[in-house]
Amino acid sequence: MIYDKKTAIERNKLTKSLRSFFEKEKFLEVETPIMVRIPGMEPHLNIFETDLIVQNKKTKLFLNHSPELQMKKLLGANFGNIFTLIKTFRNGEIGGDTHNPEFTMLEWYRIKADYKDLMKDCENLVKTLTEKTQITYQNHKIDLKTPWEKLSCEELFQKYCKISLDQNRTFKQLKKTAEEKNFDTNFCKDWDDIFFKIFLNHIEPHLGKEKPTFVYDYPSTQAALAKKSSKNPFFAQRFELYIGGIEIANAFSELTDAKEQKARLIEEQKLRKKLKKTIFDIDGEFLASLESIQHNCAGIALGVDRLFMILMDKKNIDETLLFPLNKILN
Amino acid sequence: MAMTTDIKKGLAINFKNGTWLVIEAQFVNPGKGGAFTRAKIRNLKSNQVIEYTFKAGESVDEAEVSRRRCQYLYNDGSTFNFMDNDSYEQFSLTADVIGNDKRFLTDGIECYAMHIDGVPASIELSPKMDFKVITTTPGIKGDTATGGSKDATIETGATIKVPLFVKEGDMIKINTSDASYVSKAN
Repeated sequence: MIYDKKTAIERNKLTKSLRSFFEKEKFLEVETPIMVRIPGMEPHLNIFETDLIVQNKKTKLFLNHSPELQMKKLLGANFGNIFTLIKTFRNGEIGGDTHNPEFTMLEWYRIKADYKDLMKDCENLVKTLTEKTQITYQNHKIDLKTPWEKLSCEELFQKYCKISLDQNRTFKQLKKTAEEKNFDTNFCKDWDDIFFKIFLNHIEPHLGKEKPTFVYDYPSTQAALAKKSSKNPFFAQRFELYIGGIEIANAFSELTDAKEQKARLIEEQKLRKKLKKTIFDIDGEFLASLESIQHNCAGIALGVDRLFMILMDKKNIDETLLFPLNKILN
Repeated sequence: MAMTTDIKKGLAINFKNGTWLVIEAQFVNPGKGGAFTRAKIRNLKSNQVIEYTFKAGESVDEAEVSRRRCQYLYNDGSTFNFMDNDSYEQFSLTADVIGNDKRFLTDGIECYAMHIDGVPASIELSPKMDFKVITTTPGIKGDTATGGSKDATIETGATIKVPLFVKEGDMIKINTSDASYVSKAN
């Protein structure tokens, strides 16, 4: 293994700049746990499990895949603007250029704000990390000048595939339209499967190549913790940030309606069961704390290793880490 | 036609009118979506590499490809010549087909030839191979400017990054897919 001190120094500098941005914006840094009793419900994620053993009594614990539930409990306790910079864990996600099963996540929540305010935060955050208005990533120039590009899912499907999502709202309709245009829908079992198969193969590779791109207003089915769009409830107030074809961050205008949230969690819990994933409880404290969140708020999770990978011009996430699991297992 | 749902590294598939070798396969859970397998596949005839994302559990048509041990002999610039270890038959492949693997080919090195319909179409190197370091600068303790690594030239002429403690004459293990240093070879 090569331990590259130069990269470690560069990374350390970037981490300090991240913190300085939030200090300037008057956010409180909070420490969130790595081991939790109830992780977020995300139906498709595989979660690391462990046992706490006290005098032969076992309690199942999970390695957190996202600090989201904990952060919202703090919002409910009137903490105001907060951020956390921690390790998160996803089982099975290894290999390729952009995955390590443990990775550094930056999450921040802004009160009296919506997802559009978080787009500005992303632009300003990157400005704090680099003074450059243009960077080169893997021999490809990326223009960092703000404002960055903003394209809705509907616009992207129209642009690259000549398909309207809004006019193909059912599985049957979308399948028919996609197949008429010769898109591969093999093994797609529902509307979201077709969406992703087309998105991953025909849209994602183009994103953020010339300048960072915000992909916004995702179908509501793919945004369980987001507010619906006020203009068209088929879509929800969620965005993802792409730079150089790589997904960097995921943000929502947060849903704070506890009743609606509970209904969605029950649905997701059923789906986990159906997918034969580990089942865990619905976090009652989380639901209760939603009720005491007094303001509109928006939250975002950003993959720090991936952002650094782009700013340091590294092809593989492993090159930004001192102890990449992929290399250790090899 | 054999179908498989197990899209993994080393599998040969018939896809988009060609025969492809899966060189990388990875589970991805996009955003809030289901499970997909993102594969990097290499066309066994043209050597073109593309990425394609399959739905996890999707069946693909497995291609009939046989792997036969062979030995690299020499190249004359545009073609690379090999000999089958069992039949002693010689065959040649173009530089385009060999691609980046040429940096690890040196006289007598063993690898696999991938045969489609009995015809050698491509080669495959072992994932890790041992090479001798021919030249490298002595490592300097505490040198931060070089970031804990330095260049070393191996017997094939390729230059790779190695840790500072590696010396000329050392045998080292290299990951042939990305030309990265793995460890000292025993």
